[in-house]
Amino acid sequence: MFDIRTLLVLIPVLPLLAAAVTGFFGPRFLRKNSHWPCIVAVASSCVLAFLVLGKVAHAEAPLIERYYTWMQTGSLDIGLTLRADGLTALMLITITFVGSWIAIFAVGYMSHEREHEAGYARFFAAVALFVFSMTLLVLGDNYLVMFAGWEGVGLCSYLLIGFWFQKPSAAAAARKAFLVTRLGDAGMMLGILLLWAGYQYAHPQTTASGINFETAFTWASSTLPDDTDTQLFFGTVALLLLCGAVGKSAQIPLYVWLPDAMEGPTPVSALIHAATMVTAGVYLVARSMPIFHAAPPAVLLTVASIGAATALLAALIALTQHDLKRVLAYSTISQIGYMFLALGCATTDGLVLLAVTAAIFHLFTHAFFKALLFLSAGSVMHAMGNVIDMRRFSGLRTVLPTTHWTFLCGAAALAGVPLLSGFWSKDEILGAALEASHHAYGNVYMVLFISGLVTAGLTAFYTFRAYFLTFWGEVKVPPEAGHHVHESPPVMTVPLMVLAVGAVGLGIVVQPFTHWFGHLLEHHWLNSSFGGTIQPAPHGFNIPLMAGSSLFALGGVGLAWLMYVRSPALPGKLAGTMQGLYQLSLNKFHVDELYYVFFVGPATLFAGICQAIDFLVDSVVDLVGQLPGLLGKLVRPIQNGLVQFYALAMILGLTVFLSALVLRMAK
Amino acid sequence: MNPTVELANVYLLALPEIVLTLSACLLFLAGTFRQNRHFWAMKSLGILGAAAFILALPFYRQPVDPLFALQAPNMVQPIVLDRLALLLKIVALIGGAVLVLFSWNEVSDDLAAEYHACLLVIIAGVGLSAMANDLIILFLALEMISIPTYVILYLQKTDLGAREAAAKYFLLSVFSTGLLLFGFSYLYGLCGTTNITALLDGLRSTDAGRLPLIALVALVMVVAGLGFKITAVPFHFYAPDVYQGTSLTSAALLAFVPKVAGFAALLRVLDFVWPGNRPPGVALGTQAPILFWILAAMTMTVGNVLALLQDNLKRILAYSSVAHAGYMLIGLATAPELAHQAAAVGGGQAVVFYLVSYGAMTVGAFAVLAYLSTPQAPIETVDDLAGVSRSHPAVALMMAIFLFSLIGMPLTAGFAGKFFLFLGALEVRPEQAVLFRCLALIAALNAAAGAWYYLRIIAAMYLRTPLRAIDKPATWPGLAAIAVCAAITVALGVYPTPLLQAAKAAVGQ
Repeated sequence: MFDIRTLLVLIPVLPLLAAAVTGFFGPRFLRKNSHWPCIVAVASSCVLAFLVLGKVAHAEAPLIERYYTWMQTGSLDIGLTLRADGLTALMLITITFVGSWIAIFAVGYMSHEREHEAGYARFFAAVALFVFSMTLLVLGDNYLVMFAGWEGVGLCSYLLIGFWFQKPSAAAAARKAFLVTRLGDAGMMLGILLLWAGYQYAHPQTTASGINFETAFTWASSTLPDDTDTQLFFGTVALLLLCGAVGKSAQIPLYVWLPDAMEGPTPVSALIHAATMVTAGVYLVARSMPIFHAAPPAVLLTVASIGAATALLAALIALTQHDLKRVLAYSTISQIGYMFLALGCATTDGLVLLAVTAAIFHLFTHAFFKALLFLSAGSVMHAMGNVIDMRRFSGLRTVLPTTHWTFLCGAAALAGVPLLSGFWSKDEILGAALEASHHAYGNVYMVLFISGLVTAGLTAFYTFRAYFLTFWGEVKVPPEAGHHVHESPPVMTVPLMVLAVGAVGLGIVVQPFTHWFGHLLEHHWLNSSFGGTIQPAPHGFNIPLMAGSSLFALGGVGLAWLMYVRSPALPGKLAGTMQGLYQLSLNKFHVDELYYVFFVGPATLFAGICQAIDFLVDSVVDLVGQLPGLLGKLVRPIQNGLVQFYALAMILGLTVFLSALVLRMAK
Repeated sequence: MNPTVELANVYLLALPEIVLTLSACLLFLAGTFRQNRHFWAMKSLGILGAAAFILALPFYRQPVDPLFALQAPNMVQPIVLDRLALLLKIVALIGGAVLVLFSWNEVSDDLAAEYHACLLVIIAGVGLSAMANDLIILFLALEMISIPTYVILYLQKTDLGAREAAAKYFLLSVFSTGLLLFGFSYLYGLCGTTNITALLDGLRSTDAGRLPLIALVALVMVVAGLGFKITAVPFHFYAPDVYQGTSLTSAALLAFVPKVAGFAALLRVLDFVWPGNRPPGVALGTQAPILFWILAAMTMTVGNVLALLQDNLKRILAYSSVAHAGYMLIGLATAPELAHQAAAVGGGQAVVFYLVSYGAMTVGAFAVLAYLSTPQAPIETVDDLAGVSRSHPAVALMMAIFLFSLIGMPLTAGFAGKFFLFLGALEVRPEQAVLFRCLALIAALNAAAGAWYYLRIIAAMYLRTPLRAIDKPATWPGLAAIAVCAAITVALGVYPTPLLQAAKAAVGQ
């Protein structure tokens, strides 16, 4: 129906149009119907994304289309180029499919905003703009287009976290998110520039630009094993890119913004801060895998260590949080840590496919079950009058039956209960880590593997802790909820049910038996970007590993049941006996405070010094700035308004020119 | 070829201008019968549309090849439709349409027909001056611009200040016309022809760089005469006084139209147009770059420095138009050298690009002022704009776009235009490299100084509280004029390539 050129450009353009229409006409004309452009556009993009998947699956090579050349001077060749390969197609489907259902859910969730029409339109305009930026991010065929999308999602995240900007905490959270991710972005920008400059340096005669994916990856995958200089160069580039990834995906040390980002409306938390934007870092590392692979193995070890450490730390913090959304936020940080752990395992040619497939597969399943959990939490919030503290409600399984079931599906998938989608993808990650422990830095990878296993147990525990606290026990409803607490309307429950089906069933369909996922990534992406050097991954199941991880998962669930249903007094006692540890976890290991003392404090001091110097420089500059004004005052009298004088000045000027000319010629 | 056939062809080339002028005559006559400004504005918009249609007609079957000249000027034809003429005629028609929209509600009912008729003649004059390949035609075309301008200046406002402005403009304009004619007469005396192509061939056949002194004197006179039109220092004195005294529509007209015609004439007469494979000409010899260097430096510095002290918005924009003429003169100074080097962006090309950008942003800024003014409460000083962003957010945003473009912020036309001009000055090589780097430095300092007074306006619009309420009902033609200018300003900033290529084809190098 459409050729690929139109398809690729329509996917981001439709949401962009929707954003423009909603932004300009929403407040005045669309009013209470402001959600329609966004939903229609994102859903159409979703249909188109499936068409793209079909085209990709039938194509031999990645589909690349250049729409227009933005700048071309020497070796700087920047074009608006979009590409579609296996990775892009999967990301597009994740973004637009989950995005469509979340947008529909938001119609119900944001219903109280419909009274303030401007806010309602602003919300959907920003969501559409986000989908535009995110699809651009994954479609871009060079680092600059990708960076444009990258900054676009950052902006939308800022706008949506601060959606209720009248609340000081929301405004502060939006600022924090923006600034913390910018820290990483600065590194990423440096990495992109370094890559471009390095390519130019290594290929002086070239007209190709190092920021184009094909060019960079061909160069990276053709690096010889004994070429240590180039390897170190790629190591530097990779670490700088990792800075950006760590910021956007909320990993150690830049994870602190994500829990605060929960100030935004819950659909936003589901879409941006769980399913899509925060996984952009994973996408970046996966996309740049040839560069990471060409770098010394220590770089990938860094990726894996950051991932595993973040996963463990976030899981430990999640154990004690009282705020349902914050539990989920820490869980998101922890799960993305898993994905980084998987990516970091791609140390040899044989491991690349295994590791990257595991990471992207987990990204895919995580998008479904985490979006589902957030939306279910949103449904709870909606019914509870925006109360989200788990100490203030309980026993909701009879009050909110649908939400209860969907939350259970999501929780079970997240906990890694066997045969659900989270189980399969987590298992692949642990398998990749175990495999990596047979190669370089094997001992370290073994430690990372064990910490991943422990994290799996913790995940199951905190997820079901939240589940039991919310839905079990005696029925308790906060006064804010009003008298008639009822289940959410169908516009909210239908998306929940759709996502629940995905969270339960998708995993088993696409990978463990059919290997669709792995084949798509291998044949339609990795082979071409590595120049065919990677080896296919072995199929088959590591039964002992599966049994072990199932044991940890079910053990966590069982422990949660024991502590929060069977004997609810137990947690209190436990917290009492281990007061120190409990407080440490509850206060998030004091990382925020540590950052405050070690980074914000010195930064403030430095800013003070800078201010003093700035004042000094400013005064000098001001003095210089007075000069043109003074000059003007000198010249001003000749503009005296007398026409005779003006004519005279013209003649004088002419005379000066002519005499200068005559004198020069006479010489 | 048969001279009669040749002449008939020439008339065909000028068909849009002929239509404009004849329609203007009808408007003058019919104006006595109907006094309604909207009616006449609608009519003149239609006439401009008809002229555009006639202009486009020959290209319907044969689309223009984007890179090659339509027709190189020859030694016979008095007018010629080459790429430069085509580009400037399009610019003139679009500019004319914007000016009509802009003055939709600004002229009084009883004088509307005359006003619009004058405007049509002026637009025809611009088109003709862009096509002129003969000194006499060029002179006539320039007078076709000047004389209706005097009428417009007199028609629109009748208070003392306006009369003073009109009288000043008239006297000094006539004076500069005298200088121009004087220069033309010497050129004719030297070469025995008024055909510009033949004349330049004659000048070029003399040993390069060793032109007779009399030729140089003639060309300096021509520059002086045209310098009045482009407000080059020291021929700029009228601009602030006249702009301040007259209405906003006339000020916009004065800021835009004479500059287009003046630069078109400068490009043609001083041999800056090198279509086809003709070698880069240096009709002014080696002295030309120095002359334009000094003119450029003086013009931009005086314009910016004096604008710093102003509070009156019209005076600020007047000095700003002087300063921008200075930036454009950089292009003329660098053009010969850049042509020898075959630089990526030539000097003349940058001038044509900047001319269009300058027109969009300056006319846009005037249109915003006119849009917000009412006869009872005109917008005159920076204080009058205080807090406009709250009462008219969209218009304030457009004004901010125009001002940012005048400053030269990236992603606006002003940035792209300045970038090409300054880049040219930096690219001039061997002997004169230092000299032209100095010029680029002066230009950069000027751009920085210029930012101050533009930003002051933006700050007043966005950061200050309104001193008085501006309650002007929305009028769509005014808004349309502003929107067209803003669209051009942004489009040229984001994607300058098409116009840049058109400009390259227009001036050859």
